[in-house]
Amino acid sequence: MLARDTSESAETKVRIWDVPVRLFHWLLVGLLGFSWWSGSQHLMDWHRLSGFTILALLLFRLYWGVVGSPTARFSYFVRGPRAVVAHLRAKEPSAPGHTPIGGWSVVAMLATLTAMVLAGLFAIDVDGLESGPLADYVSFDQGRLAAEIHHWIFNALLALVALHVLAIAFYHLHRRKNLIGPMITGRGRASATIAAPELARAWALKAVLGGVGAGLIALAVARGFRF
Amino acid sequence: MLKLRTFKTVSLAAGALCATVLAGSLAAGAGPSTDAVIATRVAGFKKMGGAMKALNDQLKSGAPVKATMVAAAQTIAENARAQGKLFPAGSGPAAGVKTDALPNIWTDRATFDAQMAKLVTAADKLVAVANSGDAAAIGAQAKATGAVCGGCHRQFRSNT
Repeated sequence: MLARDTSESAETKVRIWDVPVRLFHWLLVGLLGFSWWSGSQHLMDWHRLSGFTILALLLFRLYWGVVGSPTARFSYFVRGPRAVVAHLRAKEPSAPGHTPIGGWSVVAMLATLTAMVLAGLFAIDVDGLESGPLADYVSFDQGRLAAEIHHWIFNALLALVALHVLAIAFYHLHRRKNLIGPMITGRGRASATIAAPELARAWALKAVLGGVGAGLIALAVARGFRF
Repeated sequence: MLKLRTFKTVSLAAGALCATVLAGSLAAGAGPSTDAVIATRVAGFKKMGGAMKALNDQLKSGAPVKATMVAAAQTIAENARAQGKLFPAGSGPAAGVKTDALPNIWTDRATFDAQMAKLVTAADKLVAVANSGDAAAIGAQAKATGAVCGGCHRQFRSNT
């Protein structure tokens, strides 16, 4: 109890997540649920639209991982094995943002989601009727394989999301650390010994440019590159 | 003593496993004819799916080739006629048989046969429309035919 008190006194409230990261996160949560529902209801027009939006979100997140605020950048949160081990042994207080393990969890989720979207673009249903926009670049058998992979990867994605939620629950209950609040408000507690990261400069302009670019690429893919 | 007992247990388990595998392989299919008929109907459905894709790919391309679409529609119509006869009693799901056919095909045969007849009608109309070369009409009839496929699949096919 005493230890917890001292650690809390050494914490201050800082800005952790910028607006684009938070928007990306919650839009993705909603769209994943909607994709799941529309897919299981065979509402394929909606399912495709949801998938294209997720593609745009993913493209934006990759871009934001390079130009965004520090906590959004891959160079900031993707850490080597030494940092992961040190974090597991709780040798150093975590910097604001993803922990070394959390960072890899984010990489795993983004990679799985990318594979999921890619497979969906080439997938075709058993009737040869409903398909992703790029299915006409592959054969029927290859398209069916893509559909099976799309289906299989979804289970992997569900497992990763479950792990993600469990980790948040663990922090909430065991470490008494609220991770959901900062993802909503952008602000949360962090160790006072580590300088709080600053927001990216001109973030709103960069975000709008990235959003438009990602949207245009997703639109081109959705049309199967036919103009 | 302990070793001997372990050995006995292991060999018993191995024997039981062998027996299970043997029984499983004997039960696999009700004979070669069932396997053959399932393989034939799976191949037929795959041809129809591939033809439907070929037709839709033409429509998507913006410059559809009429001959390709007519050929695809004919493939669908020809196979639609053959498929209904490829569901003999005993070719449904059973131990060791790999099929997505649901057992209600055989318990609700009249509905299943009606669906198959509906498919033949829709596919014949698709051939006629394809011959007209009207892309919008072909697209609409392809969708209508696909709806018959999907409707039947939701009723009589697992894994949809």
